[in-house]
Amino acid sequence: MKRIFIAMVIAWFGMTAASTASEHAGVSETPSKTYMSQADRKAAEAASFESKGVGQMMVDFLKTTGIYALVKGEPGLKNEKGEPVSFFAQTWGRIIMFVIIGLLFYLAIAKGFEPLLLLPIAFGGLLANIPLADMTGPDGMLGIIYNMGIANEFFPLLIFMGVGAMTDFGPLLSNPKTALLGGAAQFGIFGSLVGAAMLSQYTPLVDFTLKQCASISIIGGADGPTSIFIASALSPELLGAIAVAAYSYMALVPVIQPPIMKALTTPEERQIVMTTTRKVHKREKLIFPLVVMFMTILFLPEASPLIGAFAFGNFAKESGVVDRLSNEMQNSLINIVTIFLGLGVGSTLRADKFLVPETLGIMIIGLLAFAAGTAAGVLMGKLMNKLSKDPINPLIGAAGVSAVPMAARVVSKVGAEAKPGNILLMHAMGPNVAGVIGSAVAAGVLLSIFR
Amino acid sequence: MEIDLVGESIKFMILGMTVVFVFLYVLVQLMKLQAYIIDTYFPDPTPMSPPPTPKSPAEDEKARVAAIIAAVAEFRKTKSSSKG
Repeated sequence: MKRIFIAMVIAWFGMTAASTASEHAGVSETPSKTYMSQADRKAAEAASFESKGVGQMMVDFLKTTGIYALVKGEPGLKNEKGEPVSFFAQTWGRIIMFVIIGLLFYLAIAKGFEPLLLLPIAFGGLLANIPLADMTGPDGMLGIIYNMGIANEFFPLLIFMGVGAMTDFGPLLSNPKTALLGGAAQFGIFGSLVGAAMLSQYTPLVDFTLKQCASISIIGGADGPTSIFIASALSPELLGAIAVAAYSYMALVPVIQPPIMKALTTPEERQIVMTTTRKVHKREKLIFPLVVMFMTILFLPEASPLIGAFAFGNFAKESGVVDRLSNEMQNSLINIVTIFLGLGVGSTLRADKFLVPETLGIMIIGLLAFAAGTAAGVLMGKLMNKLSKDPINPLIGAAGVSAVPMAARVVSKVGAEAKPGNILLMHAMGPNVAGVIGSAVAAGVLLSIFR
Repeated sequence: MEIDLVGESIKFMILGMTVVFVFLYVLVQLMKLQAYIIDTYFPDPTPMSPPPTPKSPAEDEKARVAAIIAAVAEFRKTKSSSKG
């Protein structure tokens, strides 16, 4: 207490000394913000302040309310690129966004759609659409978060680290060939890339560039962090819509996938019982992340941010000697980053960015991407079942669209419907985790094309 | 000149799917190789076979007592037989 008081006295003396010195030196014509004397402040205020009547003050205050701004707009408002924001986006657009955000809250809370991400994203969107507050500006809270870790693609990598620390590659290692199913499901990405290109070239509905097509199609990878990573690298202007589409469709996996899986398989195929998997040594699990790294170094260095973070998390877990670090990655770190990632992505749900025809296009292409990925995985499963000597239930191919572990659970559920007691969960986890690697590889390919 | 979006994207698709499959195929082979090497040369010190069903402490104690009795009996038998 005493020390603080002494420090304050010293600081006060220092300040008075500095201000008198500046007055004597005659530098008061151009007072900088930090070294302003009290007399300067008084003079500055007298120059700018005008005394108003109470009525006028009321009117002026009303002009700073949200009601006024939502009705009349803010003349001269510009976005971060310096383009004027349309009157619609400032008024009705914001109100429509509030309704959409209400819908997202409903989906997250009442329907349980990926609430861990949709809730922060939606709240970020709510904050981003507040008039006058400029939350998304470079000095606003959301702007700071966005520039801190989304504009530079940092947060998705931290999430990937945590996902790596949570992933168990045991099921994949016990039946390595199921990794190919995780590859086939990446057709969802590239097939919808062609679909997006067709939509832009042959229909007047949307007009995407190649980069935009690529970042939309990555929704088919069914992997939130990868989608955000690619979108912020290739087309940050579409980030909000892409993230929302990716997470909503991931939540809809139990609705989207089963009809496709059933349409492409016969009841006999769905009843196939797979042989029990072999036991996996601890050392295999330990070496696996290094093998993946080695492959990335040799073939696709462009994918190393994603795969590197993922492999690091997994290696820390499997090493068994840094449990403190791996627990941190799986829990506190991933939770903190999820908050920031959600709010930062939400900041792009601004009316002037989100209420554009492209958003609708993104939603349609994203859905096609999920469907195509599921279908390709199942078809590959059928092919492998024909060629392989061990029986393979084609349903597990559907788990190749990452979305860990939801897709694997859906497979298990559909399998159990066809033949009660047939538990496919562990078999489906193999393609499921391979799908994560597959979509990271696909992301690396797309990045390397646009390098 | 306008970029032929569809043509370009089909090329991307061919490249992308090829890379993904080659990557995962090599990964599958490496996984098999690694499993073979580890199985053959570095078998896990703690095999993954299910651990023996733990016995209740009382049962355990009984078994130990039985073993001691048997051993003592055997020892006495051999001792007496060597003397005699």
